[in-house]
Amino acid sequence: MGFILDGLETESYDRQYSDRVLVRRIVDYFRPHVRQMVMVAITLTLNSVAGTAAPILISRAIDIISRRPDIATISIFSGAVLLLGALAWVFNYVRQKLTAEMVGDVVLKLRSDVFEKTVRHDMSFFDENPSGKMVSRITSDTQDFSNTVTLVIEFLSEFLLVAILGIWLFTINWWLTVILVAMAPLAIITALSFRRIARRVTQQARRATAVINAHIQESISGIMVAKTFRQEKTLFNGFLENNRLAYRVGLQRGIVMNLIFPVMGIAAGVGTGLLAYAGGIATRGAGGMTPGNWYLFMQAVGFFWWPLLSIASFWSQFQDGLSAAERAFALIDNEPVVKQIGALPVPELRGEVEFRHVRFAYNDKEIVLPDFSLHIRPGETVAIVGHTGAGKSSIARLVARFYEYQSGEILIDGRDIRSLDLADYRKYIGLVPQDPFLFSGTVADNIRYGNADALEADVLAAAAHVGRGDWLKDLPNGLGTETGERGASISLGQRQLVALARVLLKDPAIFILDEATASVDPFTEAQIQEGLMGLMKNRTAIVIAHRLSTVKTANRILVLQKGRIIEEGTHDGLLAAGGHYAELYNTYFRHQSLEYIESFGPRPGT
Amino acid sequence: MEKREFHVDNEYRYTRTGPGRWIVSHMMRHPLFPIVVVVTSIINNYAYGNIQLYVGHGFDVITKAGWLAADLLVVVAFIAGSAITQGLTGVGRNIAVEFLAQRLERESREELYGSLLGKSQTFHGRQRVGDIMARATNDMHMLNLMFSPGLMLIVDSMLAMVVPFFMILTINPALGLVPAIFLVLLSLTLWDYNKRLTPVSIGQREQFGLLNSSLAETISGIEVVKSNVQERYEWNKFTGNARSFRDYFVKQGIVEARYWPMMAFAVCWGAALFHSLLLWKQGTISLGQVIAFMGLFGTFRFSTFISLFSFNLVQIGIASAGRILEFINYKSEMDQNSAGRGAHIDGRVEFRNVSFAFDENPVLTNVSFTAEPGQTVAIVGQTGSGKTTLTRLINRIFDVQKGSVLIDGVDVREWSMESLRSQISFIEQDVFLFSLSIRENIAFGVQDAGLARIETAAREAQADAFIRSFKDGYETEIGERGVTLSGGQKQRIAIARAFLTDPRILILDDSTSAIDSRTEDEIQQAMRRIAQKRTTFIITHRLSQIRWADHILVLRGGEVVDQGSHDDLLARSGDYQRIFALL
Repeated sequence: MGFILDGLETESYDRQYSDRVLVRRIVDYFRPHVRQMVMVAITLTLNSVAGTAAPILISRAIDIISRRPDIATISIFSGAVLLLGALAWVFNYVRQKLTAEMVGDVVLKLRSDVFEKTVRHDMSFFDENPSGKMVSRITSDTQDFSNTVTLVIEFLSEFLLVAILGIWLFTINWWLTVILVAMAPLAIITALSFRRIARRVTQQARRATAVINAHIQESISGIMVAKTFRQEKTLFNGFLENNRLAYRVGLQRGIVMNLIFPVMGIAAGVGTGLLAYAGGIATRGAGGMTPGNWYLFMQAVGFFWWPLLSIASFWSQFQDGLSAAERAFALIDNEPVVKQIGALPVPELRGEVEFRHVRFAYNDKEIVLPDFSLHIRPGETVAIVGHTGAGKSSIARLVARFYEYQSGEILIDGRDIRSLDLADYRKYIGLVPQDPFLFSGTVADNIRYGNADALEADVLAAAAHVGRGDWLKDLPNGLGTETGERGASISLGQRQLVALARVLLKDPAIFILDEATASVDPFTEAQIQEGLMGLMKNRTAIVIAHRLSTVKTANRILVLQKGRIIEEGTHDGLLAAGGHYAELYNTYFRHQSLEYIESFGPRPGT
Repeated sequence: MEKREFHVDNEYRYTRTGPGRWIVSHMMRHPLFPIVVVVTSIINNYAYGNIQLYVGHGFDVITKAGWLAADLLVVVAFIAGSAITQGLTGVGRNIAVEFLAQRLERESREELYGSLLGKSQTFHGRQRVGDIMARATNDMHMLNLMFSPGLMLIVDSMLAMVVPFFMILTINPALGLVPAIFLVLLSLTLWDYNKRLTPVSIGQREQFGLLNSSLAETISGIEVVKSNVQERYEWNKFTGNARSFRDYFVKQGIVEARYWPMMAFAVCWGAALFHSLLLWKQGTISLGQVIAFMGLFGTFRFSTFISLFSFNLVQIGIASAGRILEFINYKSEMDQNSAGRGAHIDGRVEFRNVSFAFDENPVLTNVSFTAEPGQTVAIVGQTGSGKTTLTRLINRIFDVQKGSVLIDGVDVREWSMESLRSQISFIEQDVFLFSLSIRENIAFGVQDAGLARIETAAREAQADAFIRSFKDGYETEIGERGVTLSGGQKQRIAIARAFLTDPRILILDDSTSAIDSRTEDEIQQAMRRIAQKRTTFIITHRLSQIRWADHILVLRGGEVVDQGSHDDLLARSGDYQRIFALL
């Protein structure tokens, strides 16, 4: 019954497809279900016919029976009314069942299409679109779309019923029907203007609720601080004020929302009265309307009135559904930026990487690498250092082929990276991001991710190899420990260790590491560092370095500034030269050195 | 009086022995509104029934030969009058319900919030913020919906059966037969429908949650998926989930399609027509009364559709009330202990064989150590080794389960909470600042501190310079509406906040590291300054802090595996040597 109030929270959305294109796309999804669609249309029509036939039959019955009051006639008419009701139920059942199956299948197809296209995109796409938004497009928007389809079918069914009845009434008495239908614009205008007020108070109420919720959230998050400083009272007084406001606005909204139905009820009742009088006059004289038909008009008010009101909200809900479908289609239609020109198999990889005059930008505004050239020998460990925004991560991500570059060449073992079979090539890449991502499951599952057929023993060996394997003892269930959602059940340091073990099991030719900036406890840190040393041996390693110990062990350090290499060499050599590296060292690495630590001396006063 | 860390003045007492009673006790705080709701509802339904009666009456008028227009006008006037009465009482009823619903939401939110403030940290440590928020927002809203429209619709749809039923009896008692049968059939079919729908709709909801969370995981970890070439595997996982969601969706669609209450109505509708025409044929009632009867019977159609929806709302509302009440009733094990010891703290802290567990999971086992006044103690260990918990036993955020924590030789449980906490300051790892100005945040512990004192504290904490670099200086708002501070900046504001209260004992959870050496320098200076003249506990990953602490505690799995000075540890601990070997 809340239909007038549906779709009030619609937000504006920039449409890119025309309605026609969109509807055609939607129809395409329904095409495989033509047979079901036809059945739905038939049962829907039959249901509406049965629905209108019952009141018509009753009114006929009254006229006929008042002339011929015998048991047989009464039984036949009553039986027919009963049968019509039952048939309407059956038609409705078939219609709803078929609709559910059809909509379920269409949504499933749409979802899997959207998902397939989405995961095929390159990383630039995922950078632009927050993951929460994408998830809601794939699941919620497709859901909204299906609700709209159901809504349209329900609407058609009601509309058909009103139309059939309207035509029937018109043949009985056209001017009474005109009076009846004339109520329609009145109802719609009232409903629409009401919706405008309702939308405003709903927004106000939503803001007030957001304020009070934010207040509670902040208090709960900061409860430790409040306790430590004994300031619970201050918080409580602030809360009372916000709560009072939320109450006032909520009440206002509630009252507005609750007025519409009684007001509409008054209008419907007065309309019935009016029609009762006009209809009564129409029965007068020879050839006048029969009393049965007078009664039919009385019933018709109920049939007409409420469906009319739903038209007011139908349009905005329908638009919601189209927007939802559009958001889903937009995901499907978006073309991946990374394009391979070939799919050469990669049977083995030595790990030689070469950048030749590569020009790269994430977007049109800012060029990250204007003209970048670099040659990394197989087995070499290269540490990249530089300020934020110097382009360090871009180099690593281009090697993983997560982004498309605009010009120049990237060669892997002397072959153009664009010409390789991407899936094949990535098997040789081992990547550890700053905050390693774990899937929910066990530690072993996560180490095995990407190597589903690895043996338990291999997993254990890989884990034991990282940081001497000490860390496994600190996990409550060793390899069987549940990592929780996004690895939240284990510490950041442990997540890094798991990610290192995952890469070790994969045994890649090229190891790419974006070293974490967040600190972990010194014991775990020592294990991670030892793990890294092991991984960097015997393979090409590209490390975006934040740790002093890492830069010290690199074969070559590249100092990056605005996408260009401005210095390269070893730690000791560069430090002695006293150039840019020495400056970077003073900015980022000095406080990690033993000299720095020893420089403090005992605290004064002890 | 129950134990609490915070009490609200002049609290209204509600019955808290069960969700139902709790809701009723909230409602009975405003007894006028429920009465208004019931009375207006009865009149409202009576007026609606009257419209049907007068339509029947109108039929009798126009079927009489030579009827007068004036007679029909009287009937029409009654129809319109009833419609207006119905509308006005409807307005009255809805407003009363709305008042009740909003009051209830406001007052129970206040009750919950007040009680949350009084809960111990054991409670807050165990409950995730998200879970508390779900109850304070979503469940609160459900409570509101339970009244408006839930209970309102139930009252209304009940009365929409009872009132017309009695009106039918007033036409002729014999007419009550079919409606009575229908009401029985309706309750049976509704009960059956609800029983079939509940598991399916729960299943569908859960599967949707699973579909969503699993998808969110894949998208968040897309880099890992891609670098390991697992797109196909993830697609299979997703479509598998989507397919079982589709199955639930279809199953629910079929259950909803097979809505037997509607069939019961259709059958009884035919039977009612038959029965009333039969009575008419016997001359018991007029044809107009047949029409009035059918009109009144028609009002049952509304109840057939609406009752289930509203019953569900009430069920959900009661479940929500239960969840809210669970939090309110959660017994806090700590109290303000106002009568306890209140004295100046010197700063000697001693742990004697302390053990502590969360829900049977031991966090600390048999911990003993002593910190002399003014000393700095560094606590080192892996995540989950019990470092933070250890420090929280000092200012009684938690209470020990075995052994004792003594401050100046007196068990912390014998100190008054006010005296104890006001002299112990805490700087957490994830520094929490309120969405207030920087000035208000620094003055959080000393609300009446003047600007001069605040600035001094900020200078001591090496925060003055960067605060002044903001356009609004100390009045700069923090958070969504204002600036976003870096971790190092937040930390220094927290240090300033602690400086202002001049605590005797300071606990610093310093597990985040500065990314550059200059910030590191500033934080180090601030920390060394605040650690002077007070006993300080530092949970830290910074080797420089560990290196120069008076005393180092090495924790592993909740036990102190080693303690002593840097030189002691370097001499005897292999793990400790390993750390410094890498430098």
